[in-house]
Amino acid sequence: MGLLRYTLWRFAQSIPVLIGIITITFFLANQIPGDPVEIMLGPSPAQEQVEAIQARYGLDRPAHERYLTYLAGVATGDLGWSIYYDRPVLEMILLRLPVTMYLTVSAFAFAIVTAIPLGVLSAKRRNEPADHVSRVVSLVGVSTPSFWIGLMLIIVFAFHLGWFPARGLPLPWASPADVRGASTQVEVVRTSLYHLAMPMVALGTLQMAQITRIERSSMVDSLQGEYVKLARAYGVPESTIVRKHAFQVAQLPVITIVGLGLSTALGGAVLTETVFEIQGMGRLIITAINNQDYELIMGTTFMFGVAFVVGVIITDIAYAYIDPRVTYGDEA
Amino acid sequence: MSDPLLSVENLKTQFFTEDGTVRAVDGISFDVHEGEIVGLVGESGAGKSVATSSLLRLVDSPGEIVGGEVTFKGRTLFGLEEDANGDLRPRDDMLSEEEMRREIRGREIAIIFQDPMESLNPVFTVGGQLREFIELNRDLSEEEAKREAIDMLREVGIPAPETRYDEYPHQFSGGMRQRVLIAMALACQPDLIIADEPTTALDVTVEGQILAMVEELQRKYDTSFVWVTHDMSVVAEICDRVNVMYLGEIIEHATVDDLFYDTKHPYTRALLDSMPRPDETVHELNPIRGVMPEAIDPPSGCRFHPRCPDGREVCREVHPEPRDLAEAGEPTHRAACVKYDAFDVGYDESRPLEADVTGGFDAGLTETGGDE
Repeated sequence: MGLLRYTLWRFAQSIPVLIGIITITFFLANQIPGDPVEIMLGPSPAQEQVEAIQARYGLDRPAHERYLTYLAGVATGDLGWSIYYDRPVLEMILLRLPVTMYLTVSAFAFAIVTAIPLGVLSAKRRNEPADHVSRVVSLVGVSTPSFWIGLMLIIVFAFHLGWFPARGLPLPWASPADVRGASTQVEVVRTSLYHLAMPMVALGTLQMAQITRIERSSMVDSLQGEYVKLARAYGVPESTIVRKHAFQVAQLPVITIVGLGLSTALGGAVLTETVFEIQGMGRLIITAINNQDYELIMGTTFMFGVAFVVGVIITDIAYAYIDPRVTYGDEA
Repeated sequence: MSDPLLSVENLKTQFFTEDGTVRAVDGISFDVHEGEIVGLVGESGAGKSVATSSLLRLVDSPGEIVGGEVTFKGRTLFGLEEDANGDLRPRDDMLSEEEMRREIRGREIAIIFQDPMESLNPVFTVGGQLREFIELNRDLSEEEAKREAIDMLREVGIPAPETRYDEYPHQFSGGMRQRVLIAMALACQPDLIIADEPTTALDVTVEGQILAMVEELQRKYDTSFVWVTHDMSVVAEICDRVNVMYLGEIIEHATVDDLFYDTKHPYTRALLDSMPRPDETVHELNPIRGVMPEAIDPPSGCRFHPRCPDGREVCREVHPEPRDLAEAGEPTHRAACVKYDAFDVGYDESRPLEADVTGGFDAGLTETGGDE
């Protein structure tokens, strides 16, 4: 099986998972006490008003009927209507998703770029001072919640030092007219990066710490491998052994952690976006839940589900690419 | 005879652990001449593998070579001297780590490790790994090295080497991987190959094929070998001269014929008695009683005395160094056992030791037997 067919096959396999997500979310959301109409109209509304609004959003129909309608809608790319924003759910998601993607991908890039050299260095200098420092840093990183890091960054770098802005996150490709204090595209990008720095660190620290730990232990194992002994016995320079022979084998567990971390990071994005007042998916899902906006809750949850599935599939593909022992299923 | 290719004098390697110092290799001496296969035999834990890694200075921490001298083609691979304060320091002519890596490892002395399943890197193609080592140690271009690699794979009996070149180690069987490791060693065209139990992980038929192949290739390329094994039948098949190791020491050294037909040391005798031989019919094999003690706290005197059938009081006190016991004009046959007249320490008058093997297999069996 080729890589493309394998990828398509994995996506096809994920359809039942996504249907499961929709089903569970649908019935859970409907179990929340209270309903959106109540929230909209305030206390003691007129009966006619309630009925009119229920009819308008189809809330007067029984749950199983609405469920099937919703499922059919999702299949055709229609994620429903947001009562709170009074706009299509898909439109809201497409507005917010890029912000969250921008934040999450940057946080991951930050995590990988710092964690891998740190982990390798730690493994190479095992039980030396550099290793101890890196281990303490990663232990602290793993055990500190991202929102706390975010608050501390705001207090130090925004409030006291004033180096970075504490609120919002304009996208680098936004038009200069929409970004305050920017008149050219270059300035937009610069403003965007300034805004990005703190939330990126807040969100990326946990990932960085986890990746550092796994990279270290994986490299320590790999450097003790027989193939490393063999390379040394054939006069391969130590730097080549670390960079090539030991490194590539050691990345297999790291890939798993990175892939799974992608979904953890989305959860972390909810908190980070709240702390930094970023209008992303995290804020959207919170607004949806607070206002019992059924279809918006389902739409946003569904998107998180899709992100998780994509993360897992990317992990699998990366695995098959780097480890020749993993096949695309034709030799099993 | 001309100067030996490799000569090892009183080599000592120790491991500094929390429980104390493990004297894994404790003053061994042997040499290898051009075109020879020299065996290094002993039970597990005798220090054979540590000895071979020490030759290439590849002992990992907490292990350290603490004494002795290793000379290869007139160059000092390892050698210490005393400085003005009486502390030991590396001699000026000892090769640096960089020189060892560039000029000795792979290029002059190659090694075949005992575990073919783990020795190849799982994420690179077999051919790529072979080519890398050839490029590095023979200064060939990438294409030349690839051609050489394919030729060598064919030489060691791998069918369709052009296709196999691009395959990964997991697509090879154990025997095939071992052939690849042998090809690796030969392809670098070293003068000496250290084979560290290369056939131990393989089944007997494959072992036979590989030994036959090594003998043939050895004749063709005239490479010298240090062949490490615990298997006397392998020794009989391919070695010219043999060193028997026990607890970090070489206790007997002889040509292969002398070792089998004129065995001197009781340990060698016991090793030979513990395995079947095609030239002798026995009803029962004789395992060596007890287990080898830890090298962290070796027995006093002769280290084999607690397990030795010929042990006497004197063996507990006198630590024998190997001495040449051969008749004049015969090839050297060294053994370290005080029962021979050459030692003259009063063995004949000494009382035999009580047979008290503590903690050995026999003791264990008696204890469990009591429960039944």
